[in-house]
Amino acid sequence: MGRQSTIRSVAFAAALLTSTAAFAENLVLYTSQPDADAAETVDAFKAANPGIEVEIFRSGTSDLMTKLAAEFAAGSPQPDVLLIADAVSMETLKKDGHLMAYPEANVEGFEEAAYDAEKTYFGSKLITTGIAYNTAAAEKPEHWSDLTGEAYKDLTIMPSPLYSGAAAYLLSAFVNRDDLGWDYFENLKENGHVAVRGNGAVLKSVASGEKAYGMLVDFMAMNAKKDGSPIEFVFPEEGVTAVTEPVAIMSTAKNPDAAKKFVDFILSDDGQKLALKQGYLPAKPSVGSPDWLPEGTEINVMTVDVKKVVDEIGGNKEKFSSMFGG
Amino acid sequence: MTAIRKERQGQDMALTAGIVALIVVFSLLPMVRLLQEIILPGGRFSLDIIRLGLIDETTWRATWNTLVVGLGGTLFALVLGVAVAILVSMSNVRQRQAFVLCFVTPLMIAPQVTALAWLQLFGPSSPLLNMLGMAPPLGTRNPLYSPEGIVFLLGIQYAPLVFLIVRAGMRKLPRELVEAAQSSGAGWVRVLGTIILPLMTPSIVGAAALTFVSCVGNFGIPAFLGIPANYLVLPTLIYQRLAGGGPAVLSEVAFLSVLIGVIAMIGIVMQDRIASRRDFRITSTSLPAAPYQLGVWRLPVEFGMWALIALILVLPLVGLILTSLVRGYGVTLTAETATLENYYFVIFQHAAASRAFLNSLYLSAGASIFAVFVAIPLGYVIAWGNKRWIKALNLAIELPYALPGVVLAIASLLLFLKPMPITGIQIYNTVWIILYAYLARFLILAVRPTITGYFQLDRALEEAARVAGAGLFMRMRTIIFPLIAPAAIAGGLLIFMTALCELTVSALLWSSGSETIGVVIFSFEQGGDSKYAAAVSAIMVATTFLLMLLASLFANKLPDGVLPWRD
Repeated sequence: MGRQSTIRSVAFAAALLTSTAAFAENLVLYTSQPDADAAETVDAFKAANPGIEVEIFRSGTSDLMTKLAAEFAAGSPQPDVLLIADAVSMETLKKDGHLMAYPEANVEGFEEAAYDAEKTYFGSKLITTGIAYNTAAAEKPEHWSDLTGEAYKDLTIMPSPLYSGAAAYLLSAFVNRDDLGWDYFENLKENGHVAVRGNGAVLKSVASGEKAYGMLVDFMAMNAKKDGSPIEFVFPEEGVTAVTEPVAIMSTAKNPDAAKKFVDFILSDDGQKLALKQGYLPAKPSVGSPDWLPEGTEINVMTVDVKKVVDEIGGNKEKFSSMFGG
Repeated sequence: MTAIRKERQGQDMALTAGIVALIVVFSLLPMVRLLQEIILPGGRFSLDIIRLGLIDETTWRATWNTLVVGLGGTLFALVLGVAVAILVSMSNVRQRQAFVLCFVTPLMIAPQVTALAWLQLFGPSSPLLNMLGMAPPLGTRNPLYSPEGIVFLLGIQYAPLVFLIVRAGMRKLPRELVEAAQSSGAGWVRVLGTIILPLMTPSIVGAAALTFVSCVGNFGIPAFLGIPANYLVLPTLIYQRLAGGGPAVLSEVAFLSVLIGVIAMIGIVMQDRIASRRDFRITSTSLPAAPYQLGVWRLPVEFGMWALIALILVLPLVGLILTSLVRGYGVTLTAETATLENYYFVIFQHAAASRAFLNSLYLSAGASIFAVFVAIPLGYVIAWGNKRWIKALNLAIELPYALPGVVLAIASLLLFLKPMPITGIQIYNTVWIILYAYLARFLILAVRPTITGYFQLDRALEEAARVAGAGLFMRMRTIIFPLIAPAAIAGGLLIFMTALCELTVSALLWSSGSETIGVVIFSFEQGGDSKYAAAVSAIMVATTFLLMLLASLFANKLPDGVLPWRD
């Protein structure tokens, strides 16, 4: 190969590498929504706001937070807007000044608990964690405390709080309650309860009958049931915990105007209806409730002090993992 | 005369400089960037991270557990891999090619899939055990959730790796020695113990070192089986710290990674010690030794071999296919429930899946081809060169592979987030950063078998060429490459198969348009869509299988012994 052609091919490679720079004005979204849902959300947003291109990075909440931590360390956070599982992660980011307030956001019709009082992040839906059980199981659980009973010995499973934001939230909410507390988890451990890597693993375990009862997020159980998996889902009477999948604008956003439009879209009736169509409980009650929820069902959502949880969650995870290993 | 010598020296210099540059870019750079996070967190010098890490009792427990499963897994993989390599190379069992093809395929199936298949097969809901009326009662604790379970699965996962390396070494076994021993009346135990195993020492020790490093850095298996057993190893501890978050998290993680690095290094140094204690070189290759006649034992042995395939390949594969053919997880497959919808969805409707398929194919092919061409000169300098400092530098190549993928991904992120100095080129958010990380991580998989290969080669041919006046590059092309190619390409194949479904590195580095297949499978899995994940996995296994068969068609155009499943 002559020198001339070497230079040419190097220049060509360089052009390839830098070609992505042309899209620098795009809206960059980091999200933990399931793959298909995230794509749908972005498509609907683009249809409502022609001319804005969206670059999307999708992963589990903990992977997203890791990527963000590295980007902060290198001094170059990439995303304009975040749509991730829980308010606790958002609070952590807010504390370090990474979120931008958006006081003009239209929160009419949302409950006050659904968004941050300083308008830095806004809950988009309610994802509750209840009990899923295999249709072949002998018992029909009604209370969280049932899982510690003799009939449930060695048959229960939950997602590890280290891998699931929803489970971490549930853990922190439960240990602060008088009727549950750490005693509850001690009893679960005595009863042969195990923690596994993520909600998907719990679903597989319960649907295949490897375990009979599992703590699981609602939409996953309901969608599997719709697909014919032998699975049922209950909201225990003590109430359920719910994460809100908030949306937020980064304080370092390169494209804040498009980011605001994205928040507007998520909070709009169209955005809320899309969440409903995907099988979620929308954060704005007036748009309706998903068809898997029997008409008139009151979901009793536990009230949780998010700020308190933010302070305690690290210690709680550590204690949990020393008990259950993950 | 002097002009020729100058030119030769120039070639030597160019080779050394090139090798050093490669090691610096692919191995030292990411490691140095991580070290910077440990001692200069946030730009200020501090040793707190190291002090806090060392007094933490959890760190030591995890380190001990890592050593236990690392050594246990290595031992099990060695026994299995070497036994199979000897059987296939030395005895007259039939259907060898098909068997080898099946034996190396599990490298492709994610260990979680294998683990889940077994959990189900031996669990309370097992269709097989229920049919036999032997199913354990509901709630029986599965024995795989234990340190032994982790060792078992690591062993199964890495036995093909041992096999590929030892098998490449076996091809060099001199027929003359074996025949001499046999005609002097030595039985097969004696031939095995005094000729074959001693001559195979470099391959076996090399494979052991690589397996050890793989086991120590493995995240998937301990995460799947260790968490329910409350058994913590360093890679899962790292993930736990990352999930905990907090400002110092990167520094803590970097510290734990260095611990894994140290353990891996000890393994490699020990390998070098053992390998250099004696001389294992074999004079050129001869015809393969006449296969050992198993006689009446042939049938039982063959039965055992195929039973092994049923256990490590057929069983998980059947589980995978069954899942991919129904609409929901846990639905029993019947004529009514069977559907091809999942395949239709991932092939035609999910744009990212087909893009990811091509991306992964290009990435793993690119990484393996590059690695083979790097490994041959690199191994030459390390194994036959006389510069001690280069041998020390070679240890650095080991490190990125021993780290859990997520840590290497963090290092690459930190390195390439901002445009590169001088050129202004930015590879972050492109497919190139994944290629970089793959090369950094997997290079060793080609380098290690190649070095092992060099240790078994006699230099006589190369020295003859040198005396005859052939320059370095000439010798490389005409003498060294043909001799070392089987070992190097066996390594390249390992890279291809490992990189194809790789997840943990690309999980943090992919971007729109540069998804990898591992990311797609994991995304489906995480969103509760196991059916789609299973369909994609099944397609991947089928494709690789076809690729390997296709390669066999061209076998007679390739250097002898390049494809491990061909004789």
